[in-house]
Amino acid sequence: MRGIGAQEAKGFWADAWDRVRRRPGAMLGMAWIAVMGFFAVFAPLIANAHPIRLERLGADGQVVSVEWPLLAYLSPTDWLLMIATAFGVPWIFLGSGRLGRAGRIGVLIGLSMQAGATIVLAALLIWAAEGSGIESLERLTRLDAGPWPLILCSAVVVAALASAVPVATSLSRRIVPIVGAATLGFVLSWLAGGQTLVNHEQVILDEAAGKVRATWTLIPWSSQYTRSDMVGIPPGTRVADWEKTASFKGTPFGERRVLLGTDAIGGDVLGQMLWACRLSISIGLVSTGISVVLGVTIGALMGFFGGWVDLLLYRVVEIFMSVPTLFVLIVAAGVLPRNTYVMMAIIGFFSWTGAARFTRAEFLKLRKMDFVQAAQAAGLPVRAVLFRHMLPNGITPVLVDASFAIAAAITIEATLSFLGLGPDGQASWGKLLSSATAATGTFVWWLAVFPGLAIFLSVLSYNMLGEAMRDAIDPKLRKAAH
Amino acid sequence: MATYLLRRLLLMIPTVLGITLMVFLLVALAPGGIGAGLAVQGGQMSDTSKVAQMQAYLEDRYGLNDNVLVQYARWLGRVSPLKFGTTPLVAPTGDLVREPRDLPEPVMTWAFPAPASFVVQYTPPEGEALVADFKRLQREAEGTRRTYVGAVRGLKDALADHVRALGAPWTARLEPKGGADPERFRDLPLEGDAPTLVALRAAAATMHSSWTEAEAARQRATIAFLARPYPAAGIEIIPNAFSLGAPDFGVAFSRNRPVWDLIATALPVTILINFIAFPIIYLVAVPTGVLASVRRGGAFDVISGLMFLLLYSVPVVLTGVFAIGFLANNQYLGWFPVSGLHDSAAATMTFMPYTDDAGAWHRGWLLDMVWHLALPVLCLVYAGFAVLSKQTRAAMLENFSSDYVRTARAKGVPSRDVIISHVLRNSLLPLITMFVGIFPAMLGGSVVVERIFTIPGMGSLVIEAINLRDRELILANTFMISSVSLLALLLADILYALCDPRVAYD
Amino acid sequence: MASHHTTAAPPIDPLMSVEDLAVSFDNGSGPRIQAVAGVSMSVYPRQTLAVVGESGCGKSVTAMSSMQLIPRPPGRFDAGRIMFEGRNLLELPEHEMLKVRGGKIAMIFQEPMTSLNPVYTIGDQIMEAVLLHQAVSPDEAARIAIKAMADVGIRDPEGRMRAYPHQFSGGMRQRVMIAMALACRPSLLLADEPTTALDVTIQKQILELLRGLQHSTGMGMMLITHNLGVVAENADVVCCMYAGRVVEYAPVTELFDRPLHPYTRGLFRCIPGLSELRNRLVTVEEVVADPREYEGLRSDAGPVMPWWPFMDQSQRPALDDPSRPYALVEVSPNRWVGCWRTPEVARTPSRPPRIAPA
Ligand SMILES: Nc1ncnc2c1ncn2[C@@H]1O[C@H](COP(=O)(O)OP(=O)(O)OP(=O)(O)O)[C@@H](O)[C@H]1O
Ligand SMILES: [Mg+2]
Repeated sequence: MRGIGAQEAKGFWADAWDRVRRRPGAMLGMAWIAVMGFFAVFAPLIANAHPIRLERLGADGQVVSVEWPLLAYLSPTDWLLMIATAFGVPWIFLGSGRLGRAGRIGVLIGLSMQAGATIVLAALLIWAAEGSGIESLERLTRLDAGPWPLILCSAVVVAALASAVPVATSLSRRIVPIVGAATLGFVLSWLAGGQTLVNHEQVILDEAAGKVRATWTLIPWSSQYTRSDMVGIPPGTRVADWEKTASFKGTPFGERRVLLGTDAIGGDVLGQMLWACRLSISIGLVSTGISVVLGVTIGALMGFFGGWVDLLLYRVVEIFMSVPTLFVLIVAAGVLPRNTYVMMAIIGFFSWTGAARFTRAEFLKLRKMDFVQAAQAAGLPVRAVLFRHMLPNGITPVLVDASFAIAAAITIEATLSFLGLGPDGQASWGKLLSSATAATGTFVWWLAVFPGLAIFLSVLSYNMLGEAMRDAIDPKLRKAAH
Repeated sequence: MATYLLRRLLLMIPTVLGITLMVFLLVALAPGGIGAGLAVQGGQMSDTSKVAQMQAYLEDRYGLNDNVLVQYARWLGRVSPLKFGTTPLVAPTGDLVREPRDLPEPVMTWAFPAPASFVVQYTPPEGEALVADFKRLQREAEGTRRTYVGAVRGLKDALADHVRALGAPWTARLEPKGGADPERFRDLPLEGDAPTLVALRAAAATMHSSWTEAEAARQRATIAFLARPYPAAGIEIIPNAFSLGAPDFGVAFSRNRPVWDLIATALPVTILINFIAFPIIYLVAVPTGVLASVRRGGAFDVISGLMFLLLYSVPVVLTGVFAIGFLANNQYLGWFPVSGLHDSAAATMTFMPYTDDAGAWHRGWLLDMVWHLALPVLCLVYAGFAVLSKQTRAAMLENFSSDYVRTARAKGVPSRDVIISHVLRNSLLPLITMFVGIFPAMLGGSVVVERIFTIPGMGSLVIEAINLRDRELILANTFMISSVSLLALLLADILYALCDPRVAYD
Repeated sequence: MASHHTTAAPPIDPLMSVEDLAVSFDNGSGPRIQAVAGVSMSVYPRQTLAVVGESGCGKSVTAMSSMQLIPRPPGRFDAGRIMFEGRNLLELPEHEMLKVRGGKIAMIFQEPMTSLNPVYTIGDQIMEAVLLHQAVSPDEAARIAIKAMADVGIRDPEGRMRAYPHQFSGGMRQRVMIAMALACRPSLLLADEPTTALDVTIQKQILELLRGLQHSTGMGMMLITHNLGVVAENADVVCCMYAGRVVEYAPVTELFDRPLHPYTRGLFRCIPGLSELRNRLVTVEEVVADPREYEGLRSDAGPVMPWWPFMDQSQRPALDDPSRPYALVEVSPNRWVGCWRTPEVARTPSRPPRIAPA
């Protein structure tokens, strides 16, 4: 059974969506977000220093053996993301059946939340098992750590939990996620197991000497690969034309172009920028998710119970509101481990007040409304009233505001990375930007312009989307608009 | 009004406490903890045992071995203007002198019984002699204490060595980094004459002898302290129990200077930048919002809305880098200085610009500062434009359709006066409320801006403090920034109360 | 409250006459909202014209049009004029209009709670009107304001000058609104439901106050209300509107004696006790749905049929011009009824509604 509110909210959203679609700014924004999302998912396939296929040649030029270094390189997270996107997105647009498009999007969001929760749970389990620092969370992205049993177990647990949520209505839909999660895990570990990583430097030299034949990715650089002889190459330069690497003239490596230049430690800017989409998108979504969940929970508690609960929690909200958030974030990011998960957590933890206030206000209003009182009068327990009836209505303005929150989170990530407080070992637009003004006082324009543009466009896209949604949903503003 | 103010001020106290506690816990519980920065400093020394002893000394000095909440309470006690316990004294240098602390207990007393406690007999001299004596005793107490703390650490290291020599299963009880917690080895057999065991016994003997020495020095220094070689700090209400005094933010170990000195030079800079930026934001955003609302749906409305949305989406770091790169860097335009608050020659400048006899123009101190601050302030203001003008526009539109504006128009008030004295006047209230949202964000933004333009404000200070894990500095920074932020919010509240007759003060 | 049954031209001109006014509003993507579609009425000095009709029928829009207080856009004056002192108020330029608003025509609104600016004192708000329209010093203006407040029965007017609206009750605020409106001695007062938001005893006081002030100053008044009791006690002439048009226009006693339009009849019948006692209340809908109610009305042009937008197509008479189905016809001296505009009606000229006071 779904709440009256849920259905009401759905029609309402469809209506709002139609209005959003009529705004060119919002559509452009969504297009950019889609592009970013694409690169976030497929960056390992597009920009990678590991060749897709490596043929080792014998002395007479015969193929001795074939390796697939890229496959070995991909982490479980990569696999998960890519497979989910490759199947999920076409399913949304082409799929048919009982579920409408909105329903399919809902199922996918539910599934990705499951996947996210799985990763977090698995990380926590590893952490608990090993008992050492938060750094072990990073293990998850490495195959050799062998956390597969844990991931699978937690996937099953989470899938079971998730199927209790009223997203799934039939028994089959409850079983599908469990079976799916398990199968996917086994297939992935089978696929990626047994491959060896290659020494990139060696491959390039061997390739020049004609000892191997490599099929490279579209952009044969990765975010991690740096060369000290390639520092500060301007955009569009051929490797062989660069003074320090002129010795590669005539080899496949020498023919490569550094499309957007290299940075201060000799890493390719384009490759890093594509990889950085991942950090930006994930931090924006996850930290906003955390803040929305936190804020809605606290706001709902305040609005539903009122009285002293409200009084007490609102003091907490006020404290958080008067904190100079960015300042505290800088302190927190500075003293805590430089880690993606930590960054997501702290950004989420320091930005929930908006959601809490929206939800509280909405709940206070809704409490007096007929359908909630009717439900209460009908003897439904408090929890049912809260989650089935009030939440779908109360959450609407929060979700509209979430778009702005994502934009803010992206800005914060860029800022912290710029200040050198970003996650270690991760490509980030902010980090690239910070190397534009070197300590020597020179200014490297391509390190400012390209990452800067990417940050700007991403923030702008989310802001435009938010603006459009706010106009579409807020009837008062809508009236004032003409 | 006075009671209203007082109530607001009192409400600020829990807020500041909440924020500082949060930051304290963050700093203290972070992996590597406060010691991480200390270790960095100690790491420059070659001898590992020296490093360990140095670390032990610093940990003891900053009380890092205690429970986090105890540490926080101690910090709070120093910062609070109400002070409990022995009244600190003020040395002629201006430094605060506190009663010498008790020594940490000797460890492994079950194996090596601690020396019996004793009471030193010492009669402090009077007058000048007391001051000289106290200084000497203070140094002595400090030195012996350091040796003792080092000896305790030495004992622990010796214990760890011995455990390692014993091998499994004992080694399993060692800490991850190899240190030994004596409490976990109460059942360790200590008979025999293995070399590590001999060393352990020697370490215990050293610890005991240095304890005796340090304890004696401490007692003498305490007696001299209680004889009051210097005047008491603050106002004593009950001597050595309860006094009022200025907050003491401690000493920043990274610079070895009182934190307060650092803040006193940095805070005005940050406040200055913000106080220049604020009027600019309001002066640009409010008229724009008003115009946009008056011609709603017109070209100005649409264009200003779009432009501000674009500006709003540009992160401060981006503007900063572009401004430095293209406007300030000599490779490109080079119109503005790249960093700092003043030219290096600022000290010799006249205040106002002038033209000297040779006809050369000198910009003077004031213009020099304006020139240096132009880009940082630019970076700080533009994001506020969008927020504020949008809010102004919305408030104006809401008031335009209000009943009292209709009344004013029905009275025959010309539309310009309606806009200014009725619509705008009522829209000021949400604009004041907006301040509450903008100011904390601005303070955070100025941290970044200061960092980019290397301006010696709170931002630069806090980032330095973070990088060195200088707890005292981080906490004091947080405390000051939150206080400034809260005071600004209080100001906004008062302004609101003054502007809106409906708000009752009590 | 008496009126004459003469067809001769009235001896004096009306203070203000609304002639064939049509106002519409932009409605985004939908068709324009025709709030007022050809309304005529007139007010004489010392006369009270009551405008009645259900919610949304265009009463406020009519009143606000005469002050040019309709927001344009989305509003638009489609047709008609409003004559006041020989000038068309709809076409007065803004600077002329400023003198009329508050100076010659004053208006009081339905919502006393929100119609005063919360951030200014009562005194400031009354003085603002005085200073705008009378060439007096601020001290003089303050005296006028105090007198105006005393006139509307506010005790301790001097002290209350410095009070803020939120310190006043709703009734007192409405008194302040009246004081503000009357401080400049306007010749016409537009009172848009001045008592709807107030409780019954205050309502009575306010209306008595208005009546007294009207007698002492000789101004005309347009009283918009839903309350037929208020109409009976205060009005000289009644204009009954429906869907942006006038359905009946008559002196108050005659209208109450013998309503001619089915809608007006319906209005009266659903008030218990006003006509004879009934077993049950009759709704307006029942009356207007009864075809017999529309019969037997005659005018100079011959038999006419009252206009009713929801009348069955089959019952409607043949129209002269389908795009103009409605005309206000004088069916007997000083009695106007909104009728279907048949060719006969279109041919026979009809006097615009004017009922001069005795
Ligand atoms: N600013 C506006 N924009 C759009 N439509 C409007 C506007 N003002 C009035 N209207 C429309 O004009 C019509 C008449 O409104 P008006 O306020 O004159 O009604 P009324 O007779 O005064 O009703 P009430 O008794 O409820 O005050 C209504 O249908 C209303 O929707
Ligand atoms: Mg009305």
